[in-house]
Amino acid sequence: MNRKQISMVLFGTVLAAGTQLAYAAPDWTKVPKREVSVFHPGTTPIEWVGKKSDHSGTAGLKKGETCVGCHEEKGGLNFNFKRLADKELEPKGAPKTMTYPVAVQAAYDASNLYIRLTFKSPSGGADKGDKDNEVKTTVMFPDAKVPQSAQVGCWAACHNDARSMPNADDKKTKYVKEGTYELMQWKSAKGAKVADGSVSTDRKMEGGTLGAKAEGTKSGDTYTVTFTRKNPGEGKVIPFGLAIHSDHASARFHHVSLGYTLGVGADGDVKAVKQ
Amino acid sequence: MASKIATLWGTLKKPSAKYSLIALLTVGFFSGVFFWGGFNTAMEATNTLEFCISCHEMRDNVYQEYKQTIHYSNRTGVRAICSDCHVPKDWSHKMVRKIQASAELWGKLMGTIDTKEKFEANRLRLAEHEWARMKSVDSRECRNCHSFEGMDTEKQKLRAAKMHKIAQDDKQTCIDCHKGIAHKKPQGMKEEDE
Repeated sequence: MNRKQISMVLFGTVLAAGTQLAYAAPDWTKVPKREVSVFHPGTTPIEWVGKKSDHSGTAGLKKGETCVGCHEEKGGLNFNFKRLADKELEPKGAPKTMTYPVAVQAAYDASNLYIRLTFKSPSGGADKGDKDNEVKTTVMFPDAKVPQSAQVGCWAACHNDARSMPNADDKKTKYVKEGTYELMQWKSAKGAKVADGSVSTDRKMEGGTLGAKAEGTKSGDTYTVTFTRKNPGEGKVIPFGLAIHSDHASARFHHVSLGYTLGVGADGDVKAVKQ
Repeated sequence: MASKIATLWGTLKKPSAKYSLIALLTVGFFSGVFFWGGFNTAMEATNTLEFCISCHEMRDNVYQEYKQTIHYSNRTGVRAICSDCHVPKDWSHKMVRKIQASAELWGKLMGTIDTKEKFEANRLRLAEHEWARMKSVDSRECRNCHSFEGMDTEKQKLRAAKMHKIAQDDKQTCIDCHKGIAHKKPQGMKEEDE
């Protein structure tokens, strides 16, 4: 082996090792999938959720019940989608597809937590406010100070006076009365920056603490988005919620999940597997 | 005049010399049956759906809303009409309710709810009266058909099963949650009703 060959081999090894470090991609074929349904929530902010005449489950919430505890069954959600699509709860017009499944997988190593979402993004949206991105995929993690953080997923950040709600302030973003959500978002537009942000008194799309990275691919009509964020710690169970803006949707015209838990090597709705 | 009444009273008090006791009892018995039956038939006539919607106040408002609900049309074809929910089944409570309801005639004469606008303006007040009545009798009219004992929560949606468990634990009654199930919910409901 001459010097040139040796240097080539060395270079290759370094490159391969570097790639390994940058994308310590888990072997997803060995990671179980948890199906999570996302749905069009219409105008049902936390104020709606907490009002008994609108949402009879308020009594359950007050007793500590989770949204999932009442609404997820038989591999889907038991909502009255007719009511959610009706003018009262969706004055602008509901999307053709009110709910669809997302396969959620999670894995972790010493430094990172990887979350992979696979879904068929439906067309037939009612709002096409985002011209640049066909799809946006967001994951939020509430901290323990967020009210009912273990029960309501993203809802503590969703309010009736926020942008795109009927008669609301056009500049008001998501916010939460106490605590903070960490937020990461992948956008489908070429070269779009991955957001690593937060939601507290308002929503910030940067300056977050997750160290978020994301990659997304589209194959046919199936999207696969893989997020990488720093590992919150082995044995921890963290609450999270998903939002997918499909078909160029913006603001509240997303499909969202209820609040689920992710166990880092521990039991949760989604169990992250050690790599 | 006073003397005539006294004479009639005297005649009524006197034992009959003309008719046998059995004839009097027989006539009395059948007259009683006739009048009692007639009274109840008339009262039942006011319990029909047709009677309720013979007034445009009911026909144009609450009846139209009720027609969209499961108590009007459903898979099994069992229908609950107005009186099934709004009038007690047993005779004594029914009588009391009917006497109370006669006050509605005054409302009819005065035209309290004779336009859509007036009906909407009064919807909350009317609904609150009926909710209070239902609550005070532990949703008796709902319970003529529904009961916690008869419920198979396994066959209910998860959300309903969980809420019914909470309702039983908290000794709640049907109307505590099931407001606005046959008619539109009024605007401006009080927090404790929500």
